[in-house]
Amino acid sequence: MLVSLSDAQREIQSHFAELLNGELIPGIRRMGEMPRDAGADEVADLTAARAAVWRALVDLGATRLLLPSELGGSESGQEGAVILAELLGAALYTGPLLDTMIAAELLVNSGDGEKARIAEIAEGAAICVSARESDADSYARPGPIKVSGNGEAISATRRFAGFVPDSRYLLVAGNDQSRHRAALIRRDDPAVSSRRMHDTARGELYAISLSCAPVLSWLDGRSGYCASWPQAVTNARIRHAAYLVGLCQGALDLTVGRVTQRRQFGQVLGRFQVPAFRLAELTARLDAARWLVRAAAWEADNGHDTRLHAAQALAMAADLTAVTTRAAVQYHGAYGTTLESDVRLYFLRAQIERVWLGAPRDLRKEVVPLLAETHANVTG
Amino acid sequence: MDLRLTADQQQFRRDVRELLGEDSVKADAARAFQLAPDIEPGMPDVYRRIGERGWLAVNWPAEYGGLGKSIAHKAILTEELIAHGVPDIFHTLSIDIVGLAILVFGTQEQKARWLPGLARAQSVGCVLFTEPAVGSDLAALTTSAEPEAGGWRLRGRKTFSMKAHMADFGLCAARTSPSDVKYHGITVFILPMHTPGVLAKPILSMSDERFGDVTLAGPLMTPADVLGEVDQGWEVIGRLLTIERTGIELEARGRRILDTLIERACADGTLASSPYGERLVELDALLRAGRLLSWRAVSSIAAESADAVHGAIAKWHTSETAHDIAALATDMCGLTAALEARDDDAPPGWLIESTIRDAPGFTLASGTSEMMLSMIASSALGLYK
Repeated sequence: MLVSLSDAQREIQSHFAELLNGELIPGIRRMGEMPRDAGADEVADLTAARAAVWRALVDLGATRLLLPSELGGSESGQEGAVILAELLGAALYTGPLLDTMIAAELLVNSGDGEKARIAEIAEGAAICVSARESDADSYARPGPIKVSGNGEAISATRRFAGFVPDSRYLLVAGNDQSRHRAALIRRDDPAVSSRRMHDTARGELYAISLSCAPVLSWLDGRSGYCASWPQAVTNARIRHAAYLVGLCQGALDLTVGRVTQRRQFGQVLGRFQVPAFRLAELTARLDAARWLVRAAAWEADNGHDTRLHAAQALAMAADLTAVTTRAAVQYHGAYGTTLESDVRLYFLRAQIERVWLGAPRDLRKEVVPLLAETHANVTG
Repeated sequence: MDLRLTADQQQFRRDVRELLGEDSVKADAARAFQLAPDIEPGMPDVYRRIGERGWLAVNWPAEYGGLGKSIAHKAILTEELIAHGVPDIFHTLSIDIVGLAILVFGTQEQKARWLPGLARAQSVGCVLFTEPAVGSDLAALTTSAEPEAGGWRLRGRKTFSMKAHMADFGLCAARTSPSDVKYHGITVFILPMHTPGVLAKPILSMSDERFGDVTLAGPLMTPADVLGEVDQGWEVIGRLLTIERTGIELEARGRRILDTLIERACADGTLASSPYGERLVELDALLRAGRLLSWRAVSSIAAESADAVHGAIAKWHTSETAHDIAALATDMCGLTAALEARDDDAPPGWLIESTIRDAPGFTLASGTSEMMLSMIASSALGLYK
């Protein structure tokens, strides 16, 4: 048993480091937040920044990671994707990449008919995944969709969809008679309308209305239903857990920097045992979560059933995101709450990202039966 | 990353399981947990059978009683001993700590004299580092090694030394030279416990496994007894503390208890019908993460790139998780958790009660949780500068 990064993972780490591990990070962090009083110029600047980062990610091969080589991909698997997701989280990148990866997996499962669309993704077409009509829905249990009689159009309402204007397509996941469907729709179709929601992180969340929107294709829909949706969600959970691990690392790095500079009562804050031990504990817990996520990615790439481990990894990372970002603001003091401080961005973004694919308690509740099943298999 | 064992490691695990699965071994292991409170368990008989096969110190060279396999094999043996309820303390102490120190720092003569006995389970080693007023601050030790013709006389007292009263020899740290820097001037000696001037007695505690308290009233040590270099003992101690901390045994102990709890919860329906199910899912994840950290430490030792921070993280995480699991056991099992294994109403093979008594030791032995956090804060985060 070898618990270390593979050469391929190290290569991905260093390949994306120029964009996600350098001087550009403060700018990337800030581009995810639209100031309340932003004028047209500022909106245009932020939009352009997001587009530039997206282009850079595409040029570096981010949209090709999960694609097979015959379709121009690098076949890096979940093991490669989680390394990139960690870097994205640490930089607090916000954009359509993780959604596009979900869509890419489904498109690959959809057969030869989607080759052209996969090529578009490889070249930089972003896809927004929308699954929730309300916050009672989740990716595991998408909201309802109404399919037209001939199966060529859908009507649905979706909320909490990310980066709609940045996307060329919408992937609308839905429940139809208790079975999953995944429809690909053109984002700019006249039957699609959207409005930006006002969220706590002032990010890019949208509510979408689809009224008899033409379906370009039903993903993995050979039987009419999307059989691989649950697996796509499981894989998405692993990648999102990696993103949260990165987010925690970013917040922790900022905080360690702060406590080694800030002086209180005659010495730097980091020399006091309480903050030092708290940050050490978070470092250890983060290391544990990081390897749990990477292990789940390895299992996914090696044919294991990862439903239990993906949910566990995401729940652990999500719990850690809450406590880490809370501690990060605490050790920045009141300064951490100001617009000047970047740690505030991690705290606010965490409120969305940590429950994006399911709240920790819901995730654990969902997989309790799988724990019993796994235990029976091991001991039986 | 590769979570698979090699074919050779898989075969080793199967072989060990076959031996530990024998009825006589199971009965031997069960007896250790059913002794009266005033009787301390000795070395289980199966140790000698494991030792005869070269498995006890499987990663040592054949000339010292091993099979020349990897440290991963040794980790597998630890996992299996604990999974089968065989007390692992003698293995951890004699092989993982004392034997490994001699293997790394010992002379050819020292290795030939001490290692085969440990590997065959014919002798027991112990660690004589801490003292009554020292605790975790090992460099503050005051035991002196007073120069004398032909060597040194040791004078002082060592305490909280696991199994010292049962040991044949111990690694004893003593101050050979005065120094303004407390880490300098310490020497580690290999001290035969039956040397005149050594008095060892057990310290009663709530755990079944006991510490020894050792009075050193002038036993004579010679240059041949020095492990490593004179006055350079801190290097031996530091290295020893690094390589002893993988957390493997703590994760394995946590796993055994957690599996017991999951099994009970499946059987009585509480897994699906109570909040315990979610907590078990959470602890299962923490434990698996801890196992990864432990195996990362094993991997780095195998690659001769042992990282003290990795060891500290693994030790902190696995010990805290194992302690949390023991705490959950009390909640889930109610008053049955408090029943000793020898009670007529205790379930067969009941080990929850003894684990609850051992749990405080998880976060104290081999470096307290606070020491681990201190190391992470200073070495990984650069605080305390």
